[in-house]
Amino acid sequence: MNLDLRIRFYRFLSSYGMLLVLVLLCAYFSWATWTEQNPTGADAGRQLAKAISRRTQRETREVRVLIVARDIPEDIHFASALRAELLKSGVSVVETVNGQPVDARRALEKIGAAGGQVDLIAWNAAAAEWNLFADLSAFSATRQAKVMQPASYRWPDFLKADNLRNVANQIVVIAIVAIGMTMVIITGGIDLSVGSLIALSAVISTRLIRDLAGAEQAGAVGMAIACATGIGACAAAGLCSGVIVTLLDIPAFIVTLGMMLVASGVGFILAEGQSIYQVPDSFVWLGRGADLFNIPNAVVLMLIAYAAGYLVMERMALGRYVYAVGGNRQAARFSGVPLKRVLVFVYTISGALAGLGGVIIASQLKSGAPTYGVMYELYVIAAVVVGGTSLAGGQGKILGTLIGAFIIAVIQNGMNLTGVESYTQKVVLGLLILGAVSLDRFRRYGLELLVQRSAAGHRKP
Amino acid sequence: MRSFAHVFCRLLPVALGIFLWSGCGRNEEAEQRTAGRLPVAARRGSIGLSVLTLTNPFFKEIADTMSREAAKHGYEVLVVSGEFDVAKQQNQVKDFIVRRVSAIVLTPCDSKAIGSAIQEASTAGIPVFTADIACLAPGVGVICHVATDNYSGGKQAAQAMIEALRGRGNVAILDHPEVESVLLRTKGFEEVIAAENQTPDVAIRIVAKIPGGGVKDKSFKATEDLIQAHPDLSGIFAINDPSALGASAALEKAGKRAQIKIVGFDGQLEGKQAIKAGKIHADPIQFPDRIGAETVRVIMDHFAGKEVPKELLIPTSLYRKADAEKDPMLK
Repeated sequence: MNLDLRIRFYRFLSSYGMLLVLVLLCAYFSWATWTEQNPTGADAGRQLAKAISRRTQRETREVRVLIVARDIPEDIHFASALRAELLKSGVSVVETVNGQPVDARRALEKIGAAGGQVDLIAWNAAAAEWNLFADLSAFSATRQAKVMQPASYRWPDFLKADNLRNVANQIVVIAIVAIGMTMVIITGGIDLSVGSLIALSAVISTRLIRDLAGAEQAGAVGMAIACATGIGACAAAGLCSGVIVTLLDIPAFIVTLGMMLVASGVGFILAEGQSIYQVPDSFVWLGRGADLFNIPNAVVLMLIAYAAGYLVMERMALGRYVYAVGGNRQAARFSGVPLKRVLVFVYTISGALAGLGGVIIASQLKSGAPTYGVMYELYVIAAVVVGGTSLAGGQGKILGTLIGAFIIAVIQNGMNLTGVESYTQKVVLGLLILGAVSLDRFRRYGLELLVQRSAAGHRKP
Repeated sequence: MRSFAHVFCRLLPVALGIFLWSGCGRNEEAEQRTAGRLPVAARRGSIGLSVLTLTNPFFKEIADTMSREAAKHGYEVLVVSGEFDVAKQQNQVKDFIVRRVSAIVLTPCDSKAIGSAIQEASTAGIPVFTADIACLAPGVGVICHVATDNYSGGKQAAQAMIEALRGRGNVAILDHPEVESVLLRTKGFEEVIAAENQTPDVAIRIVAKIPGGGVKDKSFKATEDLIQAHPDLSGIFAINDPSALGASAALEKAGKRAQIKIVGFDGQLEGKQAIKAGKIHADPIQFPDRIGAETVRVIMDHFAGKEVPKELLIPTSLYRKADAEKDPMLK
């Protein structure tokens, strides 16, 4: 009974252990980034206007209000809503400043020069931070002035919608490339060339846009063809690696190491060592746009890629073949699995997905450079391993890789938000990988051990 | 095997606990550091700083000085490093935006590609400043760029070269033209040499300009080739300290230290030591501490509503053997 329970516990751990880790990490960083949030925008403006008019009703004389906020859209909404509400309730607004600190200074000096007075400054937290207002008595207009800002509330930085979008956006490239890497690793291979292929694809796509599709004036079709060519080139590079690995039976490690150098060198040659930035503004649609329910386009693409990867690996014969090749190559061969074709396929897919990753990076950064993708192969492999895929081959789950990628993204983002310096971040990521592989070993040993004991227990009367 | 699994089972929560605890510990320590030791004004906000790399002492010093200076005004500086990866730097900027820092300071990993991140910060209402490396993307709103005056530094290097060669000789430049700041250095150098050649006391010819990559090993090889091609060479202008040190090693190996004088650039500790030892004649030195301090001053001016210049150049100063002997850092 006790033993059965423990077997069940280990089984649960091996299926959902990493998901649990992800949830714990999210909970921890939510707690660690629990901070005061200062609202801005139209709602905050209206709320502040209400507070101000409550206060001015108590005053006998007229209250003259100065509104100060920055010149970004949400601050402009804040100021105009605040102004409209105040005027409606009969409070007089001396002036509204939407701008930089220097604009606020000019406004104060102008009011002072005209002999005007401000009784109340209404601003948001960002403007309140300006040193300009450290000493209000420095200006003749504000000698008597009081200040008010929208009420703040507490909420974790980590759980802000903007940040969750960041986390997803930051891991998109690694997560997409990791799909191909998961397949490669399940067959018992490895692909070290993905980092360089990311750079190569970014360079080819942007260079084609610059030279052939019309640079800044390029149209959508031209850009799509350029990007498809970049992805195609990377798929061809993957195909090459796959063919060499299968036909010449050379370890994937050394073949893809060679491909990594070739791709990186070709990238530098094609880009002439420079970054290529002559691309139209609309090129950032993929990397920075968010058309569907405010979800970034790249994240949508990533989810589609994972759905496709899941279908291939779990529901199609091809996926079964991939597991079979990695699980036991001889047995797979004898049972009629097209060994070579499967291997060539996984390396080609891995190359193509790296190419897609390169296009996304180029779009996010609105330029292509041969220096992109450095060390990405290691992060990608880390995501796969943390996601529970065994480097020995034959075992692993596509969705596990997605969880692995998110664990890495959450840790990186969380450490940035809590202000852990970059050296420490490396140490933590390294420990995470070591922890993940040890955990994998541990649960497998534990499971085997318990299953054996349970079997032995049943045999004994 | 059983004991292994058991031990692991016991240790895992402990290890996890230590990891989480160390995370918190760091944080508190960091806050105490800024709050406790220095005479701090009321805490007003934070400044996000992402540098090119923290492995170069130059950027470390910019970061340290900024943290110190900003603390005096009640600001905490959050230091991160892009480590030459512009995609990583972009993510760091996004994280700064989420944390709602008051200002962002960057030394871009890529002068062009960083443009989109800067735009994003500006749209979020966070003013962006650059230090040492400028952003060259068009239409990007950087409030102010604070950097070394490389052009006049190059001129100082030329003066040092004329002085080292007593006005006569053949000179080579160990170049690294991929970098904007180096182009300015060589431009200043060449202009002064050309101008001084008009006077009767000076006759210096620039016989070669070869790439040294700004790094020791490549400059070492380049210098070896150089002294083969120009046996009558009497001076080398190396565009930074690593190239100067690489050149110096090559000259030592060839036994030409007495014949060929080197003028470097930077004033890194290793370069200063080489000046003291007589391996490098002189350096126009940069002042990362002043770059850091001026950046903070410009940010404070901006928040105080003062007009700030688009560009602020920090002059270099010539550093010779006599300066090195007086330098307390080298004692």
